[in-house]
Amino acid sequence: MPSYALTINGAPRTVTAAADTPLIYVLRNDLKLTGTRLGCGLSQCGSCAVLADGKEIRSCSTPVSRLVGKKIHTVEGLPGLWAGKKGIPETADTLHPIQTAWIEEQVPQCGYCQSGMMMAAADLLGRNPNPTLAQVKDAFTNTPPSPHLCRCGTYNGIAAAVLKAAKLMRA
Amino acid sequence: MDNELTLTRRGFVKAGGALFVGAAVFPSLAVGAAGVEGHPSTMDATKLASWLELHDDGRIVVRTGKTETGTSASAFYAQAVAEELDVDPAVITMVMGSTDDTPDGGLSAGFLGGAANLKKVAAMTRVALLGLASTKLGVPVDTLTVTKGVVSGGGKSVRYTELVKGQQLDLAIPVTGDFPKINPKDGIGLSGLLGLRVTSNPTLKPLKDYAVIGQSFARPGIREIVTAKAQYSGDVSLPGMLHARMVRPATLGSTLVAAGALDHAKFPTAEVVTKGNLVAVVSPNEWEAVQAAQAVAAATTWTPWSGLPGSDKVTAALRAATWTPAEKRGDAAKIDAALAGAAQVISATYEQPYVRHAPMGAFVALADAKADGSVTLYSQTSQAQGARANIAHTLGIPFEKVTIKWAQGPGQYGRTTYGGDGAMADAAILSTLLKKPVRVQWTMPEDLAWSSASPAWYADVKVGLDATGHMVGLKSEWYQPHENDARMLGALLAGLPTLPTGPVSGFGALHSVWVYEQSPAFEAAYVTDNLAGNAVSGGLRGNIMRTPQQRQQNYAVEGIITEAAAAAKADPVEFRIRHTTNDVFINLMKATAAKHGWTPRPSPNPKASRTGTTPVTGRGVGVVMRSGGWWVAMADVEVTPGTGVVKVTAMTVGVDVGKVMNPRHLTSMMQGGAVMGVGEALFEEVTFDTGKVTSTDWTKYRIPRMGDIPEIKTIFTSRDDRGINGGGEAANASAPVAIMAAFFDATGVMPRRIPLAPQYVKSILNA
Repeated sequence: MPSYALTINGAPRTVTAAADTPLIYVLRNDLKLTGTRLGCGLSQCGSCAVLADGKEIRSCSTPVSRLVGKKIHTVEGLPGLWAGKKGIPETADTLHPIQTAWIEEQVPQCGYCQSGMMMAAADLLGRNPNPTLAQVKDAFTNTPPSPHLCRCGTYNGIAAAVLKAAKLMRA
Repeated sequence: MDNELTLTRRGFVKAGGALFVGAAVFPSLAVGAAGVEGHPSTMDATKLASWLELHDDGRIVVRTGKTETGTSASAFYAQAVAEELDVDPAVITMVMGSTDDTPDGGLSAGFLGGAANLKKVAAMTRVALLGLASTKLGVPVDTLTVTKGVVSGGGKSVRYTELVKGQQLDLAIPVTGDFPKINPKDGIGLSGLLGLRVTSNPTLKPLKDYAVIGQSFARPGIREIVTAKAQYSGDVSLPGMLHARMVRPATLGSTLVAAGALDHAKFPTAEVVTKGNLVAVVSPNEWEAVQAAQAVAAATTWTPWSGLPGSDKVTAALRAATWTPAEKRGDAAKIDAALAGAAQVISATYEQPYVRHAPMGAFVALADAKADGSVTLYSQTSQAQGARANIAHTLGIPFEKVTIKWAQGPGQYGRTTYGGDGAMADAAILSTLLKKPVRVQWTMPEDLAWSSASPAWYADVKVGLDATGHMVGLKSEWYQPHENDARMLGALLAGLPTLPTGPVSGFGALHSVWVYEQSPAFEAAYVTDNLAGNAVSGGLRGNIMRTPQQRQQNYAVEGIITEAAAAAKADPVEFRIRHTTNDVFINLMKATAAKHGWTPRPSPNPKASRTGTTPVTGRGVGVVMRSGGWWVAMADVEVTPGTGVVKVTAMTVGVDVGKVMNPRHLTSMMQGGAVMGVGEALFEEVTFDTGKVTSTDWTKYRIPRMGDIPEIKTIFTSRDDRGINGGGEAANASAPVAIMAAFFDATGVMPRRIPLAPQYVKSILNA
């Protein structure tokens, strides 16, 4: 099997995998980054979302061979992403403002979809640092390839946390 | 304080540093020195800290067999223990849900019973600690006070941590309860699912003195979820583990003709495994397992079968079924007489298709079968002891040979509450055959097709009104295939023993609570087997889903009450209030109406229309009483008759659960439940042809998206005079009724079926 040199959460990682292996299996099984969760496997729910060069991709259906040269960030890499952006040292306690907002708003119920939700928030706030509530709802509903789904129904909490994170990030 | 309590001081323990409080007896089991006799993998409650440990670094470990299912029970349990012990809840770590690490907790339902156990244990521990403090400080016990784990009195103080340093104390805590057992006489096939109950009655803190319960305490574990430190059941891996993907039959009733051959040139490390009609592909590499399973599935042949009616004919098929009376309440003859004498009678059939739990992650389980015949399973089941009995029965091994280790998973909404359903049987069977750890990950299409579901139902309902518009009687007869099938698909397909489940409900079939006591009612529930129950897979296996039975029964009752209010030309809120004298209910209705901005008038809306492309609007109300909690939902909808599209534009949920344990997490439950209600009201339907389920992805089994959901306002007031009641569910039962009523208000047509999908909406508006 071929090897691929990836950049994951700011660090070089070389993995050996079949070219068409979806990124999620490499993340979870080879790199033990289990915060990215397998949802539908069909790009229909967003549970598996990660960032590639700051844009959301669905790791359940993006082959690892297509990600060479891209900067991949998973939920585990959110603190480092923020520290890098602010030029501050990353410690064990560093949180991305999106994570701070998610904790302060106590968003998760079962929590299964929330890694993907936070990555979608990072994508949105990268494009639009000051979204309206309507823009947040639109982004989580209508951004291709699919809506981000939460079966527990935490949508009101997610929207509130995105607006709070936006404020924290602009501060 | 109960006089059966004993406190024995055992001096120093070499390990030191912990005050252990253990439950004294498993009543049905002999207790030996090395463990519970015959149950070596079960905690010896007399020797281990089975309920609570205070460590001398200030940490407190609390154990419960109940699980965190996403309803924030772990926060509430921590708060309950902290309240009785007078400590900061943040020092508490919850250990939950595993067979060998926690006392048997029983069902995922019954959170309050779990809290009651822990409160008692904590209260007894506090008394023991005050005894130690009294001796240490030389101050009488009754003059001592505790704040955040510091005992004070007589001008002196000592921390709990100092009291427990180097000590071990045993409290005898009497408990009753049995482990689950196979029981053909129980509709579920398992008895003893309720877990242990602490039977002592220590003095508990009165509600009015609560300082921790009632606060919006942050749930332990949420930070871990957000920072990806939380371990989910699907995250566990073991050395030498194989990944499995299942190859399911072509239809619910097909049997295996021949498993497809595996191309070893293409999939060098994969292997096909079969047992009866159970077919799996395993590989040390998960992606290879995925691809090889797809290739094998395409080449596997099955017998044909077409024993399902098709989902478009489900109500007709249910009408034709043979029904067994399960439960009834009220005087049918009296209601029939009242209806015969009524000025006006409305008769209707309400119905709903199959819906399902549909978690965001498909079932997953890891099994590790050992040469000694024992099996350890890693699972998100919310009933580990029930699952243990279930798996032991399937594998033909003793109960104590099965260990279930729980970790959180995607919300299951009830489908694992009897310890059934899911990937555990697949994993246990494969691991036993292969003598290796096997992790079985169902796919989402597989889960949406093969997991158990909340069965379709119909209800024949009648309501009578007198000349003044007063309800003189209501009659509801509700028909639903049983929803207590805790058999596991893997065991069914493998042809191994499964639970002797039957159509008779184990927990009563009639859950609806009649709340309009100024009018008499008769309600009855009838039960039958799974649709296509004689298929090898068990057919469409029925299972409980959030606010079970009551949710469905309540739709029919509240639906026809909406129709009755309209017939009486009364405002639907006022109509409901006039049929009850219950102040809690009346006050909640009024408060919710005020919050929602409800304008009293009869439905339908004077501007209601069933035609045109201009949206019409309406508002509706729905009520449910569940586990001592009153729930009111109000919804505004916008209906475009020409397209059949319905949109919920505003929603308010009001609740009275007595004492509110955690306002923020109650709010989350109210909003999340309402979102599920929007799903049932507008979108959700399990579709099937004559052989198999066809709603197998998120475009075909549509659940709510963020854009479907308006701001959901909530209103509740905490009160001390009604105790603590259930707050984790029931918004999902009241919201759909409000949406149905709002649709009626907007269009003048009462939908007697949900979901209000465009095609159905157009059909009833054009009728």
